[in-house]
Amino acid sequence: MSDIHLKKLTKSYGGHLAVAGINLHIAEGEFFSLLGPSGCGKSTTLRMIAGFVQPTSGEIIIGADDVTSLPPEKRDIGIVFQNYAIFPHMNVADNIAFGLKLRKRPRDEIRRRVTDALRQVGLSGYEERYQRELSGGEQQRVALARVLVTEPRILLLDEPLSALDKSLREEMKYWIKDLQKKLGITTVYVTHDQDEALTMSDRIGVMQKAQVVQVGTPQEIYEAPKTLFVTTFIGHSNVMDVIVGSGSGSDMTVLIDGNPVPTRGPENLVPGQPVKLVVRPENVVIGPDQETPVRLPATVLSETYQGSLIRYRLSLGGQEIIAERQNQSGNERFNPGTPVTVGWDPGRSEALVA
Amino acid sequence: MTMVGTESEARVERPIRAARANGGRLWWLAVPAALIFIVFFVIPVASLFGLSFNKSVAGVIGLSSQFTLDNFIRIFTRATYYEAILRSIWVSAIVSTASLLFGYPLAYVIAKTVNPGRNTLLMIMVLSAMQLDMVIRMFGLMVLLGDNGLINGFLLYTGLVSQPLPLMYNTFGVIVGLVQITLPFMVLSLIGIIKAIHPSLEEAARALGASRIQAFFSIVLPLSMPGILAGTLLVFALSISSYVVPALMGGWKVMVLPIHIYQQIAEVGRWQFGAAIAVVLFVTSIIAVAIYHQAAIRTSGGRT
Ligand SMILES: Nc1ncnc2c1ncn2[C@@H]1O[C@H](COP(=O)(O)OP(=O)(O)OP(=O)(O)O)[C@@H](O)[C@H]1O
Ligand SMILES: [Mg+2]
Repeated sequence: MSDIHLKKLTKSYGGHLAVAGINLHIAEGEFFSLLGPSGCGKSTTLRMIAGFVQPTSGEIIIGADDVTSLPPEKRDIGIVFQNYAIFPHMNVADNIAFGLKLRKRPRDEIRRRVTDALRQVGLSGYEERYQRELSGGEQQRVALARVLVTEPRILLLDEPLSALDKSLREEMKYWIKDLQKKLGITTVYVTHDQDEALTMSDRIGVMQKAQVVQVGTPQEIYEAPKTLFVTTFIGHSNVMDVIVGSGSGSDMTVLIDGNPVPTRGPENLVPGQPVKLVVRPENVVIGPDQETPVRLPATVLSETYQGSLIRYRLSLGGQEIIAERQNQSGNERFNPGTPVTVGWDPGRSEALVA
Repeated sequence: MTMVGTESEARVERPIRAARANGGRLWWLAVPAALIFIVFFVIPVASLFGLSFNKSVAGVIGLSSQFTLDNFIRIFTRATYYEAILRSIWVSAIVSTASLLFGYPLAYVIAKTVNPGRNTLLMIMVLSAMQLDMVIRMFGLMVLLGDNGLINGFLLYTGLVSQPLPLMYNTFGVIVGLVQITLPFMVLSLIGIIKAIHPSLEEAARALGASRIQAFFSIVLPLSMPGILAGTLLVFALSISSYVVPALMGGWKVMVLPIHIYQQIAEVGRWQFGAAIAVVLFVTSIIAVAIYHQAAIRTSGGRT
């Protein structure tokens, strides 16, 4: 078990920056996700940690060792690929024994540890099977067993769930998380799926255009996004064009339709400066009786029934926003055209400079 | 219950019957090729084989109904001929091995070259070797390997040797010629197979602690077996049946079976005996290929 330091880690492909000077510390035993859209450099970062891609500059430190120029086999890491990479010419037992044989462990120890590893991933009795006789989920487990049996210092996972169907993906999400907690192994998990990142991670690093733009717990990332990109990439957000009314930081207001609205925001703003106000749809409350510090007049544009949720499109000061309400008995429904009062908790809104 | 049973059976059967009818109609598309195959390959070769059971008479080609095994008895009782069988086999085996040893690294490089421009260039290099006729390529080799050729000229000039090295008109020359001819076939058989090995398999092995070389021998090479098998079989078949290369590069001194066949038929006019050697060549080649195939399947654990 070790922590990971990435120092100014950079990879450029013929002048094109795939990873642009990333600084990260991933703590021992932590489940850390790299989350970002396609092409932002997540896999490149992971493959540099693994040793398959040589960084253009920067350092990678695992535990106390600078591994930057070590080949993959000397780094003592475990990696699981999107396609699982089960060796098709070996049965499950030989796949799992592969790393132990390279480490020249005695035969009976190998046999015992293979059996233990298979039990751990819930595949006892699968020793003789070949890759073509395994489902996607089973291959996934074999790939994890093959890696974990060598007791690596860190575990790297590159979109390991994206090839599975939805229900299996849900199941494996919790299963991998539980296994990781039980083993306490430092884990870097690459995904473009915000759900996976939010449910599984201790901390998330959001990547955009070759850079890490925000690092934080799932709650921090979701509730206090630092940039517009993070807000819109993670979950849905209402983004309103407003101007600064007064103040800055945690004690500021913005003007919506001339009304001052308190919110959180960045420092060093000047009154009249255009900013974006971000509020999550589930935090927008509707109704004449709602008691919220922010209360503004709005008009219902449309109502969409979504089972457990009802989704309203509203016009607020000439801009469209979305509100989501729990579909509970006793909750009033609003027809299109109805004038309503909307509001939210100022602590749940964020002013961001675009 | 029975009603339900028959009905569902009928429902299952309908698509099968449709597929069968479809296959039946499509079958006619194979008729022209099959006709050409029968008329221009099966019939001539079958009659040549039939001829091998006739008594050898110089200058006579007609098939007669008087069957005899004399030709075959002669082949297997005279050292010249059964030695030629063994020579044909080992020369072809060496060519297959050499072709594999030279071809695999090249195929590996081509398969791993992602840059499309460079990849095309390498492919053109391989294919261009196949553009010229075999005879012309052999003349080229003669310029290189002959007693007055480039290599010997250089060695004599620099004083490294005082006599020209025997590079041609011997088994070595034949093997060099055959490797040159068969190499592109080997490379083409291997490229697709090596390309199909997903790079993550090699990477997974590396991360589990295998060096580059260990990963190659434990993952990439075993997974290349189908291509190695196909390539070596193809090269073996091309080599054992080649007449032009042993004739030109061996200067009629390396007596393999095709040379004997040509001599018997074209020079002595004994079609029956030549045909018998052809039958022996054909059967030998099939037996050798079958043995090799079985062995390869066994060593690769039933996967080909
Ligand atoms: N071998 C390479 N040669 C050239 N460019 C590359 C190479 N590998 C990656 N890139 C580029 O680097 C950038 C980052 O790629 P990377 O694979 O890290 O993205 P990613 O975040 O993993 O995306 P995805 O979610 O689609 O897997 C991309 O613009 C990609 O085109
Ligand atoms: Mg990726």
